[in-house]
Amino acid sequence: MHGKFDDLGRFADPSLLILTSLADGPKHGYAIMTDVADFSGVGMEPGTLYGALSRLERRGWVRPLETQERRRPYEITAAGEAVLAEQVTTMQEIVRVARLRTGMAWGS
Amino acid sequence: MADWLSRHLVAWHPPRWRERYREEMLDVLDQHQVSAWTVLDLAGSALSAHADPAYRMAGFSMARLRRAVAGPAMILATLVLVLGTLVAFAAYQERWHLSGEGGVGEVAFAPGRGLLVSAVGIAHQDSMDTVWDVTDPARPRQLSAFQGGEPTVLSPDGRTLATVSFGGQPVLWSITDPRRPARIAVLPTKDGSALWGEAFSPSGGILAVAYTDRIYLWDVASPTRPRLLRTPEMPVTNPPPYAPQEFAFSPDGRMLAILTGTDQVTLWNVADPARAARLATLTGPRDALQAIAFSPGGNLLAGVTYHGIVLVFSLADPARPVLTTTISDIMPDALWPDGLLQHPDAPPCPSCGPADYAVGFTPDGRSLTVLVERQESSVSGDAAITNDSRDTVFTWNVTGSGAVTGFSTAFRDVVGDLPALAPDGRTVVDGAPHSNAVYLWTLP
Repeated sequence: MHGKFDDLGRFADPSLLILTSLADGPKHGYAIMTDVADFSGVGMEPGTLYGALSRLERRGWVRPLETQERRRPYEITAAGEAVLAEQVTTMQEIVRVARLRTGMAWGS
Repeated sequence: MADWLSRHLVAWHPPRWRERYREEMLDVLDQHQVSAWTVLDLAGSALSAHADPAYRMAGFSMARLRRAVAGPAMILATLVLVLGTLVAFAAYQERWHLSGEGGVGEVAFAPGRGLLVSAVGIAHQDSMDTVWDVTDPARPRQLSAFQGGEPTVLSPDGRTLATVSFGGQPVLWSITDPRRPARIAVLPTKDGSALWGEAFSPSGGILAVAYTDRIYLWDVASPTRPRLLRTPEMPVTNPPPYAPQEFAFSPDGRMLAILTGTDQVTLWNVADPARAARLATLTGPRDALQAIAFSPGGNLLAGVTYHGIVLVFSLADPARPVLTTTISDIMPDALWPDGLLQHPDAPPCPSCGPADYAVGFTPDGRSLTVLVERQESSVSGDAAITNDSRDTVFTWNVTGSGAVTGFSTAFRDVVGDLPALAPDGRTVVDGAPHSNAVYLWTLP
């Protein structure tokens, strides 16, 4: 179901939220946490945030920028944008099937 | 304890991980409200990083194995201890909060976000702040509670809360996530004088902090790094008890109105805080002003005095303010705590204190609202307890030049304490005197 997110294990969902947060521009760690809380209501803790960030960085989906004082902003890479688009497409398909099977009209 | 433990858990990550992420993670912890979940999450992160081949140390030795086992064992033992303490503290905090001794003291609004923060407690610095979702005023939801102190004022974007906290210092809290308020900065108090109020500029970039003798301006454009601005001394004399309206920024943020004497308001030009300059002094009748408010256009300033005299000044030329309206006959129409109007000879009870006031305009600037609350109080220990109170709300139509026409009153009948007007000028907020309950009233 998760495609390239499969091997992220418990960091798959936080990674999706982080990539979504970075899609509109670079952010440092705390800005990502507050942004994610704003748009999804998910309260991400620092351990999870950096566990996911380190994995995203190793996969080349996010790139660290130059540190500003103690804060290091991260930006999404082209590969990260591609994997995010792929994941969103998968989720849209899940929503489509769920709507069909439950007969519910969501968010229309 | 949780804060201390979370920082140690960062240090328990593998060396290569620490080299890369330690500083930025500690920076995040500085801004984050650490909880038991944070500690558990960091413990999981440390264990996961130790198991991660990218960060696991190369080679193997018994000493390393012992260290590897000792770390998690210590984490586990400490976690059990800390979690027990946190659960006990949370239980105590919840019980303390629900008892709500002293009643709701102050409220702050973030209308753009549908949030309201109320503070409850006897001593200001010990106050418990509660964040409410009032998007649907008929069904307010409690989002979080924390021991933050009072008074409480919210930045215009509703993301930063200023309180006076332990030790009497102003403290900034982030409520970007209103379910998880986080302390982000403490503003040091230089001369140890008592703080009596705070106000954000309309842009949210400046926080005015009033002490008993003068006002300081802080640059809080970056709330985690507040900077004290060098300004000329802006004195305050005889400050009345705290109320948000007793000093106020104009809607464009270029002026600051401060009660500088019992019957005077001084207008300061703070367009450039470093060159703050006194513009004018507004003087009304010889009666102590209690509350002031700018009109939304900034062209009027309204005030109400100790004896209920309502004043409107025109600020068409801020350097030459003109007193355009004086209304001195509202108090006979203000209910006494027993709900009666006429007491020709004497107040209805010996323990009736002076009235509390709030003043405000509707967002269109066409209505002026003055709220009068008369209370009957008694003293229990060191605290004044409100036994009964009645609010009377007066509204007038007001023109752009400061002329006042029409008149209406709306009465209500509730035991409340410390009334406040919401920024819409049509919602009255009142706190129950013996609990953390907050009442919202929409004016007819």
